[in-house]
Amino acid sequence: MSSLQGYVDRRVLLILQDGRVIVGVMAGFDQKSNVVLSDSKERIYSIDEGVEEIPLGLYLVKGDMIVLIGELDDAVEQAVDLATIHAEPIPPIRY
Amino acid sequence: MKPLGSVRLGWLCCLLFALDTMLPLSLLNAAQNKPMLVELKNGETFNGHLVNCDNFMNITLREVYQTNSEGDRFWKLKECYIRGSTIKYLRVPDALLDAVKEEQNRARDAGRGARGSFVSGGGNRGRGAISRGSRLPSLFCV
Repeated sequence: MSSLQGYVDRRVLLILQDGRVIVGVMAGFDQKSNVVLSDSKERIYSIDEGVEEIPLGLYLVKGDMIVLIGELDDAVEQAVDLATIHAEPIPPIRY
Repeated sequence: MKPLGSVRLGWLCCLLFALDTMLPLSLLNAAQNKPMLVELKNGETFNGHLVNCDNFMNITLREVYQTNSEGDRFWKLKECYIRGSTIKYLRVPDALLDAVKEEQNRARDAGRGARGSFVSGGGNRGRGAISRGSRLPSLFCV
């Protein structure tokens, strides 16, 4: 059975249906994939500026909205300077 | 036979979750009377204090500031009810995390004290309504 248990207390990256990217420590989850993130930040990508991180704190994201959850590699995270990264933002899902 | 099995599996999952991860709904329950920001799937946001919530994540807020999805229009509402299925996310005070964790530890320790080791108690789970009934309150009341 697939589970999010392995992500608990790890730093994870969430992509939401509206294209938002949120990183944080997964504090908990439930059967509907609702997720609690602590110390969370939104990463805003743009072409002409570096990545901007907006602190959000404690966040409860509904499972409905989540497209992807991935574990972050701390070593890689620390080696990357987000300010130097320019990228197209992820567009929201269209129905 | 099969439905019963899946029901048991459900209970087991609940138990495992309760052991060491925080359930989003326990966090929400603990957020009663605390300020929070709710964003709906349509982008509207609601800032207010949580009055009540249920297992569908339906919530009532009081002293609410509603903002449209463009963020350029505001409304003040005395109270409002939001259907859980329309919510995108909730932002709650940081301090709640520690409060809920502490409460979970307390509940678990109380459970241990009352009926011996939590793990060995788990072995009897499901055999009788008594063990099930006596276990749940301390686990799920936040």
